[in-house]
Amino acid sequence: MQDEHYYKQLGFKCGLEIHQRLDTAEKLFCSCSPRLEEEPMLGNVERRQRAVAGELGKVDWATQFEGSKGRKFVYQVYRSTVCLVDIDEEPPHDLNNEALNIALKIAANLHAHVPDELEVMRKVVIDGSDPSAFQRTLLVGYDGYIEVNGKRISIPSIFLEEESSGIVSSDSEKVVYDVRRLGIPLIEIDTAPEISSPEEAKEAAQAIGLLLRLVGKVQRGIGTIRQDVNVSIAKGARVEIKGFQDLDTMPEIIESEIDRQLNLLKIRDSLQERKAEVGKPVDLTSILKSTAVRLIKNSVDAGGIVLGARLKGFKGLLGFEINKNRRLGTEISEYAKLAGIGGIIHSDEDLAHYGFSKEEIDQVAKALGVKENDAFILISGPREQCTLAMKFALERASRAIYEVPKETRAADTKNLVTKFLRPLPGGSRMYPETDIRPIAVDRKKFGEYEKGVVSIAKVRSELLKEIENPDLAEQMLWSPLLSLYNEIVGKTGVPGYVVAPILLEKLTELRRQGIDVDSIPNEAMLAVFEEYKANAVTKTGIEELLKHKPKSRADVQRLIRELGLERITGKRLEALLKEFEGKSKEEMLREIMSKYRLNVDGNELKALLSIKE
Amino acid sequence: MYSPEIEKLLAKQHIQVGDRIRITKGKEVFEGILMPRPELGDRSVFVIKLDNGYNIGIRYSPSVQVKKLSSHRASFEFPKLRVEKKPSLPSIALIATGGTIGSRVDYLTGGVYMLVKPEELLYEVPEIAEIANLRIENPMNIASEDMTYVEWQKIAKAVADAFKKGARGVVVTHGTDTMHYSSAALSFMLQNLPGPVVLTGAQRSSDRGSSDAFMNLVCSSILAAKSDIAEVGICMHATSSDNFCHFIRGTKARKMHTSRRDAFRPVNNLPIAKVSPEGSIEYLSPYAKPSGKELELKTGYEPRVALVKFYPNSDPDIVDYYVSKGYKGLIIEGTGLGHVAVKPSDDRLSWIPHIKHAVDSGLVVGVTSQCLYGRTNSNVYRNLRLLTQAGAIHCEDMLPEVALVKLGFLLGNYKKEEAEAMLSKNLVGEISARSEYDWFMV
Repeated sequence: MQDEHYYKQLGFKCGLEIHQRLDTAEKLFCSCSPRLEEEPMLGNVERRQRAVAGELGKVDWATQFEGSKGRKFVYQVYRSTVCLVDIDEEPPHDLNNEALNIALKIAANLHAHVPDELEVMRKVVIDGSDPSAFQRTLLVGYDGYIEVNGKRISIPSIFLEEESSGIVSSDSEKVVYDVRRLGIPLIEIDTAPEISSPEEAKEAAQAIGLLLRLVGKVQRGIGTIRQDVNVSIAKGARVEIKGFQDLDTMPEIIESEIDRQLNLLKIRDSLQERKAEVGKPVDLTSILKSTAVRLIKNSVDAGGIVLGARLKGFKGLLGFEINKNRRLGTEISEYAKLAGIGGIIHSDEDLAHYGFSKEEIDQVAKALGVKENDAFILISGPREQCTLAMKFALERASRAIYEVPKETRAADTKNLVTKFLRPLPGGSRMYPETDIRPIAVDRKKFGEYEKGVVSIAKVRSELLKEIENPDLAEQMLWSPLLSLYNEIVGKTGVPGYVVAPILLEKLTELRRQGIDVDSIPNEAMLAVFEEYKANAVTKTGIEELLKHKPKSRADVQRLIRELGLERITGKRLEALLKEFEGKSKEEMLREIMSKYRLNVDGNELKALLSIKE
Repeated sequence: MYSPEIEKLLAKQHIQVGDRIRITKGKEVFEGILMPRPELGDRSVFVIKLDNGYNIGIRYSPSVQVKKLSSHRASFEFPKLRVEKKPSLPSIALIATGGTIGSRVDYLTGGVYMLVKPEELLYEVPEIAEIANLRIENPMNIASEDMTYVEWQKIAKAVADAFKKGARGVVVTHGTDTMHYSSAALSFMLQNLPGPVVLTGAQRSSDRGSSDAFMNLVCSSILAAKSDIAEVGICMHATSSDNFCHFIRGTKARKMHTSRRDAFRPVNNLPIAKVSPEGSIEYLSPYAKPSGKELELKTGYEPRVALVKFYPNSDPDIVDYYVSKGYKGLIIEGTGLGHVAVKPSDDRLSWIPHIKHAVDSGLVVGVTSQCLYGRTNSNVYRNLRLLTQAGAIHCEDMLPEVALVKLGFLLGNYKKEEAEAMLSKNLVGEISARSEYDWFMV
C-alpha cells in the first residue's frame, strides 16, 4: 500500500455505490414475498424487448455492445415470490410504506435532506433484467454525509429502488432470468468521489454497512449487500467495478485497477509515438481452411469464417502485461467475447504453439499487409458472430491508441484484478412512473428519525455491557448479524453473552463444516432462542437445532421433538436424579451429562446437586 | 396545472414547463428542469428534474424564490425517414383512433402523445414496412372508455373508405377497454367485407421496451396484408409471452382481464387464426372469405338501448326507468340459462311484470346470460317460460355486450318487428347454431 500522497499525485478519485436489500414483509411495489423461498417453478414467460426511440436521438458508443439486442428473454415465474406486477402484466401497487420508512430512517442517519414530495421514476433498463424494461426508483435523500475515521465523506444521493432479476443463463439467442428477486426493496447509497485511497474505500464501505445494520431492517446473507466502486486516475477513465464478494479484497483490487490504467496509458503513449492504426477486417478463410489449428479448423468445418486485421504499430504491445497474467490482448479478447465467440488469437502470442505453420503465418501477414512493427489478430466462428466480434475487438484496439475506455468491470476476487464486463453506459434515461402517485414525506416522522440518530459509541458500550467480552462485542458491532442479535436479545430476553457467542462463533464453526446456516430465516433464529428462554431447549440443544434447521422444513418446535432435544428441567430433572440415587454427586453429574448432554443444562444440574464450580 | 400561487410565480418569471430553473427555499437551492404537475399530485408542489435524472417535489411557501436559468430545449424529434412504396407489397390502411397503442411518451416531461405520421409509427415498428405499404388515417383521438356509437359510425365509414381507396386489409388501433364493443359494432355495420378488418391495441403503453403494442401491430399488419379472412376481429396477444397473437371474431371476443396482455379471449368460439410475428398464419376455425359482393355499410344506430344486469335483490324498477325514458330496447343479463326473479318472497322484486310492461310499451327485450359461456334456454325452467311469455327474446349464445350492440344496430336500420325477428338469428357470426366441446375457457 502506498501513502495518501501517492494517490493524490495520481489524481485518484473514488466513490462508492452501496446497494442493500431491505428486510420488509413485502416487495417494493407489490405484496409478493421478498424472501427467496425454495418453491417449484410455475412456468416461463417469453418476451422480446425493443429500444424505444431515444430522448436525444443519439446513440452512445456503449449501446452497440448491448449483446441483448434481438435476444429473447425468458422469465421464470413462481407462486409466492412472483406476481403479475413482476412480469409486467399488472400496474404497480402503492409504494411499500415499511420500505419507505426504513429508507427515510437511513437517510436521517446519513444526515441527508429529504424532498418534500417523492416522485417515483422509471429508469430504462435494456438488458432484459426487468420484464417491464425499466426499474422503478426514487430519490429519498440528498446532501448527506458519513464520518469515516474522523473524515466526512459526502453522500450526495440516497435512492430507494427495485432489485433486478437474477440471471440464470445466457446465450446468443436467449437470456433466462429468475424473477423472484425482482422488486425486493433496495436502498442505494452513493458517496461523492472523495475517497482518497483504496484502503479508505474499504473503510467507507464498512462504515456504511455498519450504519445500515444499526439503523435499518436490512436483509442478511450472500448477495443482500453489494458494493460497487467507481475509480479513476488523472488521464485514465472512470471505471465502475462490481461484484466485490468481501471488503477485505477491495483495496487490492482497486490497486490493480490503478495499475491497469497506468499501464494502458503507457501503451497509449507508445502507440501514439508509433503512429499506430487499426486496419480493416480481411477474410482469411481460404488461407486457413486446412490449417492444423484445431480452433480455427473446427469453425471453418462448421461453415464459419476466419477474419484477421492488421494492427499497425502494435507489435509487442498486445503482449504487454497490464495486470498479473493480463495483457492488452486479454482486454481485446474480452470485447470480442461479447459477440459470443471463444476469444481471439494475436501475433504477440506463440503462434507455433497454436499449431500454425510458418507458411500460414507468412500468408496471413501478407494478406493483412503486416509490416515490421505491426501486430495482427485473428478471430474465427460463425459468420455473423465472427464479424461482430471483430468489430468489437477493433473498437477496443483503436481506443487503446488514445484513451482508457470508460467501462463497467467485474471484481475478480480470486486473482485480485478487474475484468471487462461492458462499456460504461451513458446517463440513464428516466421518466416519471405515472402509475404511482407522488408521495408527500411525513415531516414529523422524519423529524423523529433525525432525533433518533444512532450513536455508534453508545451502541459499542451497550454491546460491551451485554456481551461482557470486549473482543466479541467489537466483533458483534461489525457483524452483519448485529440486527439479528438485537432482535433476539430485544424480543426473547436471552442475555447478550449467550446470544453473541452462538451467532459469532457457533455459526462460523457450522458454516465451516459446510452447513448452510445463512439460509435459516430470522424468524426461525428467533424461535430457537424463544425456546431456550422458555427452558424448552438447552444451549447445547441450540447448536444441534442450528445444525439441522437448514435441511429441515419443520418448524423449530417440531424439530426439537424430532431431534429429541426437549430440555429436562425442574421437576423432571429432580425425578431423573432419583434414577441415579446411591451414586456420588460427581458420578451423577458425569453419567447424567454423558447420557443427556443435549437435554440437561449442566449449570442447572450442578446447582441442583449443590456442586460449586 | 400548478396551484394559482405557483402559476403566478412562474408567469412573473416567464417560466414554462421544460425550462431550467433554480428554486431557493430557505437554505436549500435546487436546480433542474420544471416538470408538468402529475395529475395525481399535490398542486402546490413544484416538480423538477434534477441533473441526475430524478424528479423531486418542492413544496411552495411564500418565501420560495424561482429563477429561470435557460429555456426549454427541444425534445426528441423523429429521424427523417423516407417511406418508400414497394410495388411488390400489398397496401393496407391503419386507422388510429386513440388508446395506449400508437402513443409515445415525451421522456422529458412524461407526457404522452399520439403517433400519427407513418414515419413515426414505422420508426417504432420498422417491421411493418417489410409487410405492407401503410397508409395511416387518424379520424379521432379518443380513449376507449369515451367511445360512443358516433365513433363506431365514423370508424366504420373510415374502414369502408380505406377499402374503396384500394386497401386489401385494414388495421384499426383502439383502446382496449371497449374494443370488443367496437368490434361487434363494426361487424354489424360492415357486411360483405372484401378483406380483413383487424382491431388491435396495447395493454402496456408503448413508452416501454416491453410493450405488447409492437407485436400486436406486426401481427395485425400481417393479417391485414396476407389473410383471406373477410371478417372484423381482434388481434392481440394469445398468451402472456411475446410468441404469437390470436385473431378472434369481432362478435365473439371479450376483454377478460384488466391488465394482462392476453386479456382478449373468444367466448363460445375458437380463435379464427394464430399469427406469429415472423409472418405465419395458422387458421384454427372456419371463417368468412370475400364473397365478391359489394361492401355494405350500414351505420344506422339506435342509442336508446340499455344493458341491465339482474342479480339477487335487484330492483326491477330499473326496467320502468328505461321505459319512461323512451328507450327502444333492453338487453337483460340474467343468471344461468337466462333467469330473472319470478317469485321472490317480496313480490316487488319479481321482474316479470316489469318486463311485460316494457314489451307492452313497445320495447324489444332480449335475454342473455351473465355466465357468458353457454347458451340461454327458455324451455328448461318455468321461470324462463314465464319470461318468454312476457315477450322477452332469448339471445342464444350471444355475449350480453354483443346483444346490446346488435339491438342498437337493428333498431337503427330496421323496423321494430324486423329487429325483433333478427335479434336471435345469426347475421355475422355472433350466434352459433352449435356449441362445440372445446369452446370453453379458451
